[in-house]
Amino acid sequence: MLSIDKLCCQSALRYANAAEKFVYAVLTLCICVAGRSWTAAVFAFAANGVLTVWKGKIPLLRYLRLLLVPAVFLIVGTAAVIVNLSRNPMDAFALSVGEWYLTGSRASILWGLNLCATAFASVSCLYFLSLNTTMTDILGVLRRMHLPSLLIELMMLIYRFLFILLETASAIMTAQESRLGNRNFAVRVRSFGGMASALFIRAMKRANALYDAMESRCYDGELRVLAEEHPARKREIAGIAAFETILIALTLLT
Amino acid sequence: MNQGKKPAVELAGLSYTYEGSGIKALDGVNLKIEKGNKVAFMGDNGSGKSTLFLCLNGIHRPDSGEISIGGEKITYTRKGLLDVRKKVGIVFQEPDSQLFLASVYQEISFGIMNLGVEEQTARREVERVMEELDITPFRDRPAHALSGGQKKQVAIADILVMHPEVMILDEPAAALDVTHTEKVHRIVEDLTKRRITVLMATHDIDYAYRWADQIVLMKNGRILKEGTPEEVCSDEALLKAAGLVRPAVLRLYEKMAEKGFIELREKPPKSIEELEALIARG
Repeated sequence: MLSIDKLCCQSALRYANAAEKFVYAVLTLCICVAGRSWTAAVFAFAANGVLTVWKGKIPLLRYLRLLLVPAVFLIVGTAAVIVNLSRNPMDAFALSVGEWYLTGSRASILWGLNLCATAFASVSCLYFLSLNTTMTDILGVLRRMHLPSLLIELMMLIYRFLFILLETASAIMTAQESRLGNRNFAVRVRSFGGMASALFIRAMKRANALYDAMESRCYDGELRVLAEEHPARKREIAGIAAFETILIALTLLT
Repeated sequence: MNQGKKPAVELAGLSYTYEGSGIKALDGVNLKIEKGNKVAFMGDNGSGKSTLFLCLNGIHRPDSGEISIGGEKITYTRKGLLDVRKKVGIVFQEPDSQLFLASVYQEISFGIMNLGVEEQTARREVERVMEELDITPFRDRPAHALSGGQKKQVAIADILVMHPEVMILDEPAAALDVTHTEKVHRIVEDLTKRRITVLMATHDIDYAYRWADQIVLMKNGRILKEGTPEEVCSDEALLKAAGLVRPAVLRLYEKMAEKGFIELREKPPKSIEELEALIARG
């Protein structure tokens, strides 16, 4: 998560209009999932890769490594679809295990591969959005979509304080480690408990201090802040419209 | 009486006790600060500086006593509080407790948007203050990727964008490197040029002696002594009671004069640079 956060600040597409990126990613995702079309999935996957690596200038190796993260789940999930345990062998393959067969049908192999393609395409949509758009910009889009402001404000605060929490926790753990705080399992467990309780107390104190600081800037219960705007470009909007049309066409044709 | 003659801050018999502590964090504080003054608040941790600051901005309501800002008493109504918070801004010591948004731009816009100004005006002001405080080079970085010094710059911009009459800085140089300490000090000088009254808590007696028009020594919620830097720094016993020692430049200057290296002047030097100039002249 932290590496994604760093990468999206370096992305060359960071300052493209956030709503455009959001609409593109969500629409493509929906078409892939609803259409379940091979060609559309491959097309979308390729497009996201090109956009992220070539246009967004996200290092290829980092991108591939990120794609590997969900790959394990996908392969295990697909294997479960393809491989069956049955008394009768099916048409694609069969391995006898005593009286039973580990077997699969041609249809289930196709189905599994299709699932795999759709899943990778969907994941690549989400990566496109999160690798090229900062959290702040995504929240800005959600705000414009009139999501309840309570929800948005909570997300804004959580996003900021998550990092402070992590920083504090890692500082405490370093301090513990430098005093042999993880010498053995029992000590490690005790250290972790101590760290957790210290973290809780600090979080409470920080929340109080934060509230004072917000009040002293005339906070009255509503977070009013200005978002930076990056205008949408007609060419980009036309490009997205064309892409989605092709995607739908591919879905319908195959 | 004309507007300019009214003191920027006036406190009369101010007392405050934190809930459930039983100890008076502030105990009968009387103080008058003229408009445009540079005031250093000094004293040990727990001497009441931060509590006093929170009272000045209406976050804490004193048990007894009165606070006037620009000649107007603080009233603890919604409108009154909004009014005083508009006039008095606090830059907190710990920037991580003040900066609550990931985006620098949003963060700085928060205060001014709360004042209910037009969006266009607010945008212009945010841009202007970012330019003024050299924030532009890192404006696009998320708050958690900023260095301590950069966070401090943003924390000051947070308040400056609201155009306060009185600006409070709670140990602004704490935990900063030399470059950023100097940067903060330069910003503070600029504030004074704009006739903003600056109240600063600091532990650096050398800086306070050089910079301030008025030094307030605090201990156990009371004011031990208050006056010009020369007045306050001449009393060694008093400084010691507040946990401080006399400014290095003064001690050096007096010792050298005693030994006949330099002549005593009417005005003792304020900084090492001034002392060096004196020595060069012989």
